[in-house]
Amino acid sequence: MKFFKKRPYLQFISPGIALYSIFVIVPVLFAIFLSFHEWSGIGSMKFVGLDNYAKLLTDPRTSEIFLNALGNNLKYTLCVVTIILGVQLVFAYLLNINIRGAKYFRLMIFLPYVISTAIIGFFTLIVFDPNLGILNNILGLVGRADLKSAWFGDPKIAFVLLVMVILWQSVGAGMMIFYANMKDVPKSMIEASVIDGAGEWKRFTNIVIPMLGPSFTTNIMLGVIWGLTIFDIPFLIGGPQGGINNSIDFVNQFFYRSTFGSAYFGETSLGFGACISVTMFVIIFSISLMLSKLLKRFKFND
Amino acid sequence: MKRTYSITDTRASRIVKNFFFVVLLLYTLIAVALILITVLSSFKTKSDLVQNTLGFPQSFTLDNYEQVLLKDKFWLYFINSTILTVGGVALLLFISSMVGYGLSKFHFKGRNGIRTYFLMGLMFPIQLGILPLFIMLRSLDLINNLFGLILLYAANMSFAVFVLSNFLRTVPNALIECARIDGASEFRIYRKIILPMARPVLSTVGLISFVTMWNDFYMPLVFLTKESVRTLTLGVYRYMNNFLENWHLVFAAVTVALVPVIVVFFLFSNQIIAGLTGGAVKE
Repeated sequence: MKFFKKRPYLQFISPGIALYSIFVIVPVLFAIFLSFHEWSGIGSMKFVGLDNYAKLLTDPRTSEIFLNALGNNLKYTLCVVTIILGVQLVFAYLLNINIRGAKYFRLMIFLPYVISTAIIGFFTLIVFDPNLGILNNILGLVGRADLKSAWFGDPKIAFVLLVMVILWQSVGAGMMIFYANMKDVPKSMIEASVIDGAGEWKRFTNIVIPMLGPSFTTNIMLGVIWGLTIFDIPFLIGGPQGGINNSIDFVNQFFYRSTFGSAYFGETSLGFGACISVTMFVIIFSISLMLSKLLKRFKFND
Repeated sequence: MKRTYSITDTRASRIVKNFFFVVLLLYTLIAVALILITVLSSFKTKSDLVQNTLGFPQSFTLDNYEQVLLKDKFWLYFINSTILTVGGVALLLFISSMVGYGLSKFHFKGRNGIRTYFLMGLMFPIQLGILPLFIMLRSLDLINNLFGLILLYAANMSFAVFVLSNFLRTVPNALIECARIDGASEFRIYRKIILPMARPVLSTVGLISFVTMWNDFYMPLVFLTKESVRTLTLGVYRYMNNFLENWHLVFAAVTVALVPVIVVFFLFSNQIIAGLTGGAVKE
């Protein structure tokens, strides 16, 4: 008791430290440990060294799936930091210059972000379902039945559609980060440019964008992390298998199949599953580290 | 409303602005239309829905809701989601505000180390620890148990601790010293001074956590597999898997899951938007 009397902060931080250590830190260490073992979940574990990693990267049965999924993750991340980031930037600027209805737009663009991914998946279904979907219905009504498509059933366009759906859902967050940053641009600079007769476009590219270093850094870093850990929406739309021909298969879906989805494959190897998640973490960590160095060099991060 | 029309506002730039206005209008109409279609369709009979997919309901019926809420047990999923969210938010706020207080108003050796330790959690993607968590919860018999998931939600406190300890640093020390001299116990100071002062930050963190936990799909998918603990998002997901069979029911199910979050969003939109995005820039 005297020990605690002398250290009053302990009664405040120890419950948190216990909970956080047990359910956040220990599992991460356990996952690393597990990735070097062979274990089906019951019985004893067998130490197998780097076998799981070798299997993941070189065994054609798994490496093909993994590399396809990883490729999709990278392709998708690239879309996030180019297309989605661009849209967020433009939308934020429109709000910043107080376009007509800005208050309404801010609210409504952000709205899908607070809607559950399960419901976003449902919205996608009622729009794109080949038989019952709104899109094919409308195309039929306006006499353009020739434009009807299987949408997500067509592996050639499924990926593009997925990016569009996620853009629609998540554009609001990054947009608001840009928007908050734009408010930091000194009024005097804006006014000076108005007096000098600079147009809106010039002001946007020459004055506002160079001031957005911090929000670019934040949005790019968050975009990379989200891009490499995406799961919900492709899972809800494409199922555990990642759509037709694995066109929207991502690493986390592969991970889910390998660990919790024994029903799909008949065998579960928890060590192998842990190995996928650790590999992914290493990839995410190294990419973010390189990016933050790179962004610093470009003076994006003052 | 103040508009920034200026001397440079030429005709050309006004056309561009109007163009973007139309773009944004159409863009935001997608959400309005989808929500309207969902809510309206939830009141249609099955045959009405087939013949008149996009139109206004011919006759309002509550049969879908009766089927979804009572027979398909969405009332239970609603209660489960509520218990999970309320329990998760309450425990998270309680524990993280204590940690925030401990880390901001006491000086001790290793404080910065502990602060960094709590921040590390922001780095780990949820999938990294999920498999060991599954094994741990299974051995503790906390799989298919709402309390197990509440513990997990509260344990992911990195963001909350970060925000709260930053805020509590601004609470004047004099206030705490005075109370201490008056003989108040440390816990009483926390309850009577710290918590009331932190109310605005607590409510922001609470709102964000509410939205995240209510909407969460991944953790319930992994940890709650029995019907008795199923949440609304899982209920919607199961209906979607049998979309053709349940077509007329899905709309009512989605409406039940959607309405609470939409109401909270429109009531507290400023706080939610600022909380979800503002903190990220001003680190």
